[in-house]
Amino acid sequence: MSASGRILREIRAARRPLRVLGASGQLGYGVPTPAFEAGLARKPDMIGCDMGSIDIGPTYLGKGEMATSPESTRRDLRKVLLAARSLDIPLIIGSAGSAGAAAHLDATLDIVRDIARTEGLSFRMAVIRADTDRAMLIEAVRAGKVSGLDDMPALTEQDVHDAANIVGQMGTGPFRRALEADVDVIIAGRACDTGIFAALPTALGFPTGLSVHMAKIVECASLCCVPGGRDSILAILDDEGFVLESMNPDRAATPISVAAHSLYEQSDPYTVIEPDGCLDLTDAQYVAVDARRARVSGAAWKDSTDPTIKLEGATKIGERAILLCGSADPRFIAQSKDLLPKVAIVVRDLVCEDTPEDYTLRFRVYGVDGVRMNVPPGEAMPGEVFIMAECIAPTRARASEVVRTCKQFLLHYGYPGRLSTAGNIAFPFTPPEISVGPAYRFSVYHLLHVDDVDALFPVEIETT
Amino acid sequence: MKLSDIAQVIRSKNAGPRRLTFDIMFGSDEDYRRVAQSPGLSAETIGGLYGVPASEVAIFPYPVGRAIKVVLARKIMAGDPGDFDVYGAQQHAPLLGIEL
Repeated sequence: MSASGRILREIRAARRPLRVLGASGQLGYGVPTPAFEAGLARKPDMIGCDMGSIDIGPTYLGKGEMATSPESTRRDLRKVLLAARSLDIPLIIGSAGSAGAAAHLDATLDIVRDIARTEGLSFRMAVIRADTDRAMLIEAVRAGKVSGLDDMPALTEQDVHDAANIVGQMGTGPFRRALEADVDVIIAGRACDTGIFAALPTALGFPTGLSVHMAKIVECASLCCVPGGRDSILAILDDEGFVLESMNPDRAATPISVAAHSLYEQSDPYTVIEPDGCLDLTDAQYVAVDARRARVSGAAWKDSTDPTIKLEGATKIGERAILLCGSADPRFIAQSKDLLPKVAIVVRDLVCEDTPEDYTLRFRVYGVDGVRMNVPPGEAMPGEVFIMAECIAPTRARASEVVRTCKQFLLHYGYPGRLSTAGNIAFPFTPPEISVGPAYRFSVYHLLHVDDVDALFPVEIETT
Repeated sequence: MKLSDIAQVIRSKNAGPRRLTFDIMFGSDEDYRRVAQSPGLSAETIGGLYGVPASEVAIFPYPVGRAIKVVLARKIMAGDPGDFDVYGAQQHAPLLGIEL
């Protein structure tokens, strides 16, 4: 019998609290070993790791690349895999490879299989794909079963065709099916972080509200503590609540720090919408067990009558090239807002002599208005600025042509009152132009209304 | 008194690629209440700082976490051309100087 079958049978036969180890909120960026080993010494019933997020932007999803380096990803996967196998407990990983599309999942699986070979491990592994079938999605668009999230414009059939990758965020259901299939390891594509951690407790009949609330906290490892951090966290769940304890003795899960974690990256601290229902934290209570442990209870759950899956998709919009430079000239800095668009016109007149204006060129002046959404008028000018010019064009060659031309004419652009006639900008190195690679944007951020959520996320089983 | 003189945490982040969320957290219930009751932290003030109408600013008091949450629509979706802060983690600065 494999690990999930053993745990399900054991706890169904003799009910006891469930011990869940949240190893890492970002597998691939390093799992601190001392806290992880302290967690293993507490004999957890499962290890869960979230491996991805939409926060990293559209390019990883579109391009099919991981945000983490192959070396650190392998180190982390090896660490959690060896630990789970030595304790014979399920290892559950969601949003594989940063964005959870086929390319990310397959790259993660290649590493897992290679670790198994190298370490001489044999285990049963469930693989859950999250890629959205295009023909099904077009049918859903036509049937009016797709709606925009947060005022996203309506999805069109063209959007569906054009996207490089489209994934759906699976909830607990697919993970539960994988656990019931008697496996040691689950590697899932794009997933709700709660799916990773709430599947085992809900399969065992622990209250859904408590299970999902616990999942929502432990997926970020010790981020809910003071001071917050990425060390592993242990949750012990019973039928009335759960106790949180960081596996780093210098971090404390206090009632306030845990309650405040419900704010993190959420637009509503009391409500969390999941594919198959809604977590209601209105009556959640947070109580100190001791100085380092908090007990949480009171979360309620309401099943949805209209199950939905959040879809994410990215479309290629061109090739990106950038120019990096700086200025220390007060007159140049004071005029930069007016002057840079004029440089863009000089560039356009040159590079569009025999080619249409098929690109965008943007400037960002760091020190002045590079970062903020809204800059108040009348701010004092800084002594130095950093300038980034960014071009997105149909081809790598075209984007490079635009930023190289821009570099030359920004360097030598004449403006009223100019004193530094040998050059307007400083380069930290040359060449100062960089071809970044393909650029993507999120073209899909929608809810898909579905009758059979599980059908979207097939579970495949393999033995390494 | 400025918000940055009394808050323990003032942070911003995406809540999905189309929303920015700000968490303002306090070290004591007293500090929390003082700010939660202050007219300084209003939808009008925050909308003005971010260049959005007050009607598009949502403010959630969260006493159990000694915190106040603010949610705004992003002007540019995260990662779109022209975005300036893909994670949204540096949009908190205008809040620091709010007079209470």
